[in-house]
Amino acid sequence: MSRRAPFSAVVASEWTKLRSVRSTWWCTALYLAVVGTGGWFGAAITQSAPRADIAVSSALTGFGFGQVLVVVLGVLAVTAEFRTGMVLASLTAVPGRGRLLLAKTVVVATWTVVLTAVLAVFCWFAASRLTAVEGGVPLTDPGVLRQLGLQVAAATLTAVLAVGLGALLRSSAGALGTALGAVLVLPPVLAIVGSELSVRIARALPVFRVGDEAFFSVQTSWQSGLVVLGGWAAVAWVLGAVLLSRRDV
Amino acid sequence: MLAPVIELRGLTKRYRSRTAVDALTVTVEPGRVTGFLGPNGSGKTTTMRCVLGLTRPTEGTATVLGRPYRELPRPMRSVGALIDPRARHPGRTAYAHLLALAQSNALPRSRVDEVIELVGLDAVAHDRVRGFSLGMGQRLGIAGALLGDPDVLLLDEPVNGLDPEGIRWVRELLRALADEGRTVLVSSHLMSEMEDTADHLVVLGCGRLLADVPMADLLGAHSAVRVRSPQAPVLASALQRAGGRVELEIDGALRVEGLDCDQVGDVAFLAGVRVHELGRVTASLEAAYLELTGDDVEYRAAPL
Repeated sequence: MSRRAPFSAVVASEWTKLRSVRSTWWCTALYLAVVGTGGWFGAAITQSAPRADIAVSSALTGFGFGQVLVVVLGVLAVTAEFRTGMVLASLTAVPGRGRLLLAKTVVVATWTVVLTAVLAVFCWFAASRLTAVEGGVPLTDPGVLRQLGLQVAAATLTAVLAVGLGALLRSSAGALGTALGAVLVLPPVLAIVGSELSVRIARALPVFRVGDEAFFSVQTSWQSGLVVLGGWAAVAWVLGAVLLSRRDV
Repeated sequence: MLAPVIELRGLTKRYRSRTAVDALTVTVEPGRVTGFLGPNGSGKTTTMRCVLGLTRPTEGTATVLGRPYRELPRPMRSVGALIDPRARHPGRTAYAHLLALAQSNALPRSRVDEVIELVGLDAVAHDRVRGFSLGMGQRLGIAGALLGDPDVLLLDEPVNGLDPEGIRWVRELLRALADEGRTVLVSSHLMSEMEDTADHLVVLGCGRLLADVPMADLLGAHSAVRVRSPQAPVLASALQRAGGRVELEIDGALRVEGLDCDQVGDVAFLAGVRVHELGRVTASLEAAYLELTGDDVEYRAAPL
């Protein structure tokens, strides 16, 4: 009575919420389908590659578009609460709003890690079967592991960014539009424009990453790519949490 | 002395140009059903949201069991709330909705089955909430409020959309909960419903407190004696001399305030006046309420 419910209880509750709505399963199925088929085709059209990590990189191409589903999953996990009014029941049950958002983020991020890890291994499998590389494409190759690990990290940070934007903007349309604009629409447009300024802006955007590459955007090192994406995710999440705590619902 | 169960002190909520709740000071006591009455837009829901920490007051405080709601460790175990019948995801089943709420407060899964049975939703527990009628939705909301077996219940318009059988069920449930010593605050604009359910009334108008009185007092203050006599003018003056306030009713009977039935009968006897009818008329809550809120209705239809 005098102690708060453990954080794991709030996480369990958020997992029940996530798994009990259809949109979660639509996003999951589409994510698996888009990235899976993209990976298989990406590997199939890459007949040979000079190195194992380059072969895997081609097979990861499907993540370029597939991560849209991660964005939708993360945004809807938050905005559906506001759209339906469920947030009133949620915040009455868990008045610690930062705690609630953190539990939701943990659940969405964990689900993204699991799905992305499965898909990354599938993409490796496709590359190892369909792309000829001297010496094969061993999963234990450090280059291969780095590509796959970067993919899981990038997708997970994207999920956190989506959850943060959902809490910040509260509307599905607003949050989806903002997120997709920043990760998928603006980067290629700016890359095409190609002016010094547009290139600089493109580098600062949380563009989708495919392995160690920026998808359809100005290329940056994977280190700076992750820092930019992580920075956006952190800022959006913290702002979302602060506003959620301050605003009336 | 225990801390008051629900205590509002100078609670004020202002939106840009509108004051929704204006310096409300009220204490809600345990062991009885407190009815929270007011016209639409009078601030009932805003007040309840402030109590639940959903809305931040502009000034003043709202505490539950001596502390702000947000500081309650496992709120559902202390306070059960029904705020909005739409506070759920339509794509979720009733069972999943209640399970998620129960888990967040570390309540056992068995409680979910118990409340589902209690509110009579067993047959539809695994259906999506989208297809629920308003009445089933209210039952689901009440199930959510009862999950933690709380000592305090805040229910905003719980009988809205219920059929007569459902209304009776809610009334009996609230009565039983109050009789167990729990604190029940229930808002409604259905005055007739309150008359049968509430022991105490808090009446709001335009965000201000209009009355905080026992139901019996409110009704008593607006009740009178009705007496009919073929010698009405004689009786009227005799009653006035005895200290009564007398009004002539449309059918020729007298309406007397300030004297009870016995006194009116005695006055008539002493005046030698024949009496054809004598009885007490209890004001309906509706009449008492309209009198209280008459000037404080925010949204009023223009006269036709």
